[in-house]
Amino acid sequence: MTKYTELEYLKLSKWRKFLYKIACFFVGIPGWFVNLFKKIGSAFKDFGISVKDDFVDIFTTFKNGDYKTRLSFVIMGFGSIARGQILRGVLFLLFELVFIVYMIFWGGYWISMLPSLGTQGAIKEYDPIYDTYVTTYYDDSFKILLYGILTIFFIVAFLYTWRLNVKQNAIAEEILKSGKPLKGTKDDLKSLVDEQFHKTLLALPLTGILVFTVMPMIFMILVAFTNYSGEFDGKNNLFSWVGLENFNQMLGWSAGGVNYAATFGEVLAWTLIWAFFATFTNYFLGMLVAMMINKKGIRLKKVWRTILIVTIAVPQFISLLYVSKMFAQDGLVNGMLLDWGWIDKALPFWTDSTWARVMVIVINIWIGIPYLMLIATGILMNIPQDLYESAKIDGANAFQQYTKITLPYMLFVTGPYLLTSFISNMNNFNVIYLLTGGAPTNAAALSPGGSLGYTDLLITWLFKIAINDSKFYMASVIGILVFIVVSVISLIVYSLLPSTRNEEDFQ
Amino acid sequence: MKKTNLIAGALALTMAMGMFAGCKPTDDPNSSSAESGKPLAGNYATKIWVAEAAVEFTKGQIATYNSSNEDGIVIEATVEAVGEGEAATQMTTDVEAGADIFCFAQDQFARLVQAGALSQLGQAAGQIVSEANAAGVVAAAKSGDTLYAYPLTADNGYFMYYDKSVITDESHLKSMELLLADCEAAGKNFSFEVEGSAWYVASFFFATDCKSEWTTDEDGKFISVNDTYNSPEGLKAVKGLHTLVKSKAYNNSSAADAFAAAVPSAVLVSGTWAYNDILEILGENLGVAELPSFTVGEETFHLGSFSGCKLLGVKPQQDAKRSAALHKFAQYLTGEAAQIERFNTLSWGPSNLNAQKIDAVQANPALAALLAQSAYSIPQGQIHGTWWDIGKTIATGVKASDGTDAGLQAVLDTYKAAIEGLFTMSDEEKNAFTVIGSINGDTWTIDLPMTKVSEGVWKTTEAYALVENDEFKVRQGKSWDVAYGDNGQNYKVTTAGTYYIQLTIEGEVGTIELIPA
Repeated sequence: MTKYTELEYLKLSKWRKFLYKIACFFVGIPGWFVNLFKKIGSAFKDFGISVKDDFVDIFTTFKNGDYKTRLSFVIMGFGSIARGQILRGVLFLLFELVFIVYMIFWGGYWISMLPSLGTQGAIKEYDPIYDTYVTTYYDDSFKILLYGILTIFFIVAFLYTWRLNVKQNAIAEEILKSGKPLKGTKDDLKSLVDEQFHKTLLALPLTGILVFTVMPMIFMILVAFTNYSGEFDGKNNLFSWVGLENFNQMLGWSAGGVNYAATFGEVLAWTLIWAFFATFTNYFLGMLVAMMINKKGIRLKKVWRTILIVTIAVPQFISLLYVSKMFAQDGLVNGMLLDWGWIDKALPFWTDSTWARVMVIVINIWIGIPYLMLIATGILMNIPQDLYESAKIDGANAFQQYTKITLPYMLFVTGPYLLTSFISNMNNFNVIYLLTGGAPTNAAALSPGGSLGYTDLLITWLFKIAINDSKFYMASVIGILVFIVVSVISLIVYSLLPSTRNEEDFQ
Repeated sequence: MKKTNLIAGALALTMAMGMFAGCKPTDDPNSSSAESGKPLAGNYATKIWVAEAAVEFTKGQIATYNSSNEDGIVIEATVEAVGEGEAATQMTTDVEAGADIFCFAQDQFARLVQAGALSQLGQAAGQIVSEANAAGVVAAAKSGDTLYAYPLTADNGYFMYYDKSVITDESHLKSMELLLADCEAAGKNFSFEVEGSAWYVASFFFATDCKSEWTTDEDGKFISVNDTYNSPEGLKAVKGLHTLVKSKAYNNSSAADAFAAAVPSAVLVSGTWAYNDILEILGENLGVAELPSFTVGEETFHLGSFSGCKLLGVKPQQDAKRSAALHKFAQYLTGEAAQIERFNTLSWGPSNLNAQKIDAVQANPALAALLAQSAYSIPQGQIHGTWWDIGKTIATGVKASDGTDAGLQAVLDTYKAAIEGLFTMSDEEKNAFTVIGSINGDTWTIDLPMTKVSEGVWKTTEAYALVENDEFKVRQGKSWDVAYGDNGQNYKVTTAGTYYIQLTIEGEVGTIELIPA
């Protein structure tokens, strides 16, 4: 396709401009990937160079160092203690001792078991004296996986500390050579509340993130490559690594065996449709309601707002369960319509796939509008009134004012919100699970566990697989796939958002 | 010295157990505890999970047991309200943190055995349980031939509740079509949860003599299924199901409050647990009856049902004494006296044969209906967990179909494919031969593996002790499409001994030989 210059572009009709933009977007995609791979390649190269530099540095430190430095390679902290930096030295030494003791007594076992995830499951034996069966437990795959990862973390931390220890010696030698005094224990402690204060502050949160976020995440990701499930629970029947087999089953790239690819595609498609409608219906209708209430001359503004906000005040699981009952086959709505004689057979709100899908979107509007109304009200009040006044003088009608002033302003401010709400709608467990539980059942879909329904999102499907059938590995696979889908969408949309592209527009 | 004591103790205990098995626990003054110095005496901290309704009852039972048992066992229990389904899920997820003794519905049984959450019953306990309870219930507590749990109730079945003010003509109770017509005329619903649960769908298939029988090995793993849903009989069943789901009176529910819904039900298929709630809603209009029949063409079929039970399990213990004590206590909780007491307080139908005979049980209307339905019910054996999900899609499929034979058959085909998908095998497994028969202490349930010796020659990996008149066949891919015996008959062992079994295939003919080990 031919690239237009700026002047040529401005001459195009509105419709052509739009098409041109879209075409540019798609033409640009291969370029992104080329760039991405280039970046990854250069990152690897940089890493390689820095590792090489590190080794060279370690080697020269050893070659040029005195006996204190050289001994520190084996006994960490020796150099620091010998040079009077007691606190540093003791900490290094303590860390080394803890590491060695841990590795001998525990870490060695966890690491050695990690490749197999255990060799001996539980054994059941008959005890003739008490006429009963006794179970003895041996390896525990779950713990092996968990502590195996922890041990790897620990080893990496040790290597880093060892490197730090070597570096410290080199620095100390250099300082001594230049004739300056070394920092003592007192100085070290002082620096922790002074120039090193950021480290003091960050120590706790960082540990928290490592232990409570990073660790479990790595664990859950690794589960996708095992057969951890109710049957292979890790204690009675050990679980083991299965490589990419689970992903193969879910995405079905090799022929033969079980293949859930069609089902996955179906659920993913509905998840995206749902997220699209749930986000944009709420967004535009919420904005409309806010504008209506904000309009000059509307009376009892506070009353209207309060009424809408009541839906927020009632916990979702109560209101949703109630609404779900209301529209049931023998529920209030059908009962009333039957009584009035408007219908002679109950409407299949939850039992027909199309009805159910439309229903969840419509009911989601009901619970989503108030939030959007609140956000929009604040933003709408912030739009400078002179913009509207001058638009009126120029003869713009209400619709033109909306598309030229209100909408661009709203989109600019709420762009990131739109993106996050799209993502959270993709994972909107509450609404789907409480309203339909995934129903009506999709008889034709093949699922690794739990019957799959027409309104099931990936996230409720994951829940059913994990809870109803204890197939944790498949749930983990879906979790990873959801992450990939979400991150791809986020990256693309984020780079297209006006809020991030034209930062100066509304300032 | 110590050793002899131990052996003496063991002997005494075994002898006592022998007597124990024969009579009621309290009859014999010289019971085990007296002779061997109460080997089980002690305090046992125990975590117990029961349904919320049974918490208070269970606490009472523990107090009674602690004060009355002669083994000196003191159960220091924490009783927690954990529903039966929830208990099974939690036990399979984390056995270690789970309760020592817990109640669960029988459909969770195989899953629990697989997860190693149930400990096998000792020989004495096994014998008592087998003799005291109804056969179908005992089968529900078995995986392979091994008993893993104690039957607690035997009332997990379904029958029909109806509103006498709507269904006025009692002769209509025999026909599903007439009942549907009554409901339609009155603007009321006919509630039958066929879309929500395979348990209810089975009603139609059992009516036409279809089967879905599953076999587990002793570790709770499913090894084969005999499922005849996809058959001419099955087609009749889905035709009946089609009549139901296409009626405008049909409602997919089994909950008592269907009688109080905005569009109230006049008929509800449910179980004993709903009785009290429905009685409260309908009062004297409450009617209880066995399930009706449905008509396909000229034939009528009486709707069938599952009969199932609740079980009590003991978690595997690492200490033999503790294990024995907890099993003793579990035995008490599921014994005759406790079951009668449980019926009196909670109206849970007993599984114990003697308890079933008492007058109060016989007079309970819900249990009476269950009894009337029992002629058409099939004991719920071990069923693959995923079947419940596959099974319920039949009703959804039937509802979406056009009702023609071809449309309904397509539903059965989908079902069949899904069932076969549960036993997917690699090509290697499909081609491998196995030996199956009444050998090695098995009754045609376990496939013994064979390895390929050379092209067309397969031999068992182990040698087996075979007895005279043992019968077996060699089959391929664990199915009967390719199977060899003795000229089409089962191969019969003529001389007892320990043999490898070898199969030699030449063209269409397979010859079986026994090779002495």
